[in-house]
Amino acid sequence: MGIATGDVFVGVMTAVLGLIGLILASGAMDDGIYVFGLSLTGFAAVFVAGLIRSHYDRREKLRAEGWRHV
Amino acid sequence: MSDRAIAYNEDIVKKFVVASMFWGVVAFLVGVVLAAQLTWPALNLGLPFTNFGRLRPVHTSAAIFAFGGCALFGTSFHIVQRTCRARLFGGEALANFIFWGYQFFIVMAALSYVMGFSQGQEYAEPEWHLDLFLTLIWVLYAVVFIGTVMLREEPHIYVANWFFMAFILTVAVLHLCNNIAMPVSLYTAKSYNIAAGVQNAMIQWWYGHNAVGFFLTAGFLGMMYYFIPKAADRPVYSYRISIVHFWSLVFMYIWAGPHHLHWTALPDWTQTLGMAFSIMLWMPSWGGMINGIMTLSGAWDKLRTDPGLRFSVTAVGFYGMATFEGPVMSIRAVNALSHYTDWGIGHVHSGALGWVAFITFGAFYYLVPVLWKRERLYSTRLVSWHYWIATLGIVFYIAAMWVAGIMQGLMWRAYDNHGFLQYAFVESVAAVHPYYVIRLLGGLLFLSGMLIMVYNLIQTVRDPATARRGEAGGDLAMAKA
Repeated sequence: MGIATGDVFVGVMTAVLGLIGLILASGAMDDGIYVFGLSLTGFAAVFVAGLIRSHYDRREKLRAEGWRHV
Repeated sequence: MSDRAIAYNEDIVKKFVVASMFWGVVAFLVGVVLAAQLTWPALNLGLPFTNFGRLRPVHTSAAIFAFGGCALFGTSFHIVQRTCRARLFGGEALANFIFWGYQFFIVMAALSYVMGFSQGQEYAEPEWHLDLFLTLIWVLYAVVFIGTVMLREEPHIYVANWFFMAFILTVAVLHLCNNIAMPVSLYTAKSYNIAAGVQNAMIQWWYGHNAVGFFLTAGFLGMMYYFIPKAADRPVYSYRISIVHFWSLVFMYIWAGPHHLHWTALPDWTQTLGMAFSIMLWMPSWGGMINGIMTLSGAWDKLRTDPGLRFSVTAVGFYGMATFEGPVMSIRAVNALSHYTDWGIGHVHSGALGWVAFITFGAFYYLVPVLWKRERLYSTRLVSWHYWIATLGIVFYIAAMWVAGIMQGLMWRAYDNHGFLQYAFVESVAAVHPYYVIRLLGGLLFLSGMLIMVYNLIQTVRDPATARRGEAGGDLAMAKA
């Protein structure tokens, strides 16, 4: 089973957001940007981890149903 | 029409329904806290983050964007799939990103308010970085919704989808125009709006009023045009009126914003323009209200047995009342009395609680058994309790605010025989105290009703007694009394 194009798009976009969050937090001059930057990175990490997990969940489900080459 | 061939993405609808109920409890709870603070200011506790000024945008954002926004996302995704006979465009990952991204925005915005960050513009308090993040979420929402419409198997675009598209596109334009701001630095949360003075005020209230018109009206009208016919099992009373309703509403609403700036530095002709369009709005608003209520023609008996539908119909009644009161308040002579008083607060809450919240409650009472594939609701008696407690809460709230507001307006303009102001401002504050207590009671009742709903819907999903008996079970059968 391949990775859906939509998943790749969303995954890459979220990873870029996570990086932006890190950059914002690293140079933050007030608490507002610092908290937002760190939280954005945390959000991105958790969301991408969830995407990866759901991909493998789907693959295991298909295998359990008897599909091969997944 | 058969739905067998299409596997709709119902998971995302469920998530938004759950989130909406959660944020509803938060919004109403913070509202009750604020009502208590206004009644007894000592409850500000002397702490910066429990101060009324910081908690107030938490309440308004939680009610409008979190509770109302999640309800709109969820129901629009449900409706567009069903009426277009198409699965949601963009796949599960994109829909999930919209859901979690929107929740992230809500939490970050609320956190920034209690930390003391705000643009100082009503209903547009989030600073530039949060505005940019919301723009991304909103663009993706538009892509998913419009993409689904374009994938439709039905040739016709149902009227509810027109209302949702107007809501999505107009809110995008409003958000972008009202939030053009220059940050002090890319590494600071503080920014300054590109417009200043009266131009800033005009853009802000063009945004503010159309947030009401397109977020809190057009979107929820989309909900009305789907869920009332479904729950009543009747077609829309007049589909032609619904189309006229749509085009006249979207054309007229966009001009009405200046009525928020009567008797200010805004040019007179602009104020008059806003007033004139506000009065003209009576016609489409009432046309839509009549269309919604008349959809029950031949099915009025269902109001006795389906209290969820009772919510929806009462919501349409409150919509009619609020859209009558709004144009009256937009008349400059009336506004001279009503502006800056609690009458405005009462008006907003008759719309927010009576229209927005009630139409959402009606939709959720219909939707939860459908989404979780249950035979019926856990208890229609609890729905009835919710209905009457919430209705009483609204009546307490708005009646208290009408009396308090008109009294404030009259006290502020009263002169004695020597031409001096008859009352000091603090006397008007003391005079409204009893009404603030009544308002608090109304808010408590409304919150209690919401908690009853949450319990009832959780039980609907969890209780084995509500399980479907075979595939023949209807979407929403009669609940146990």
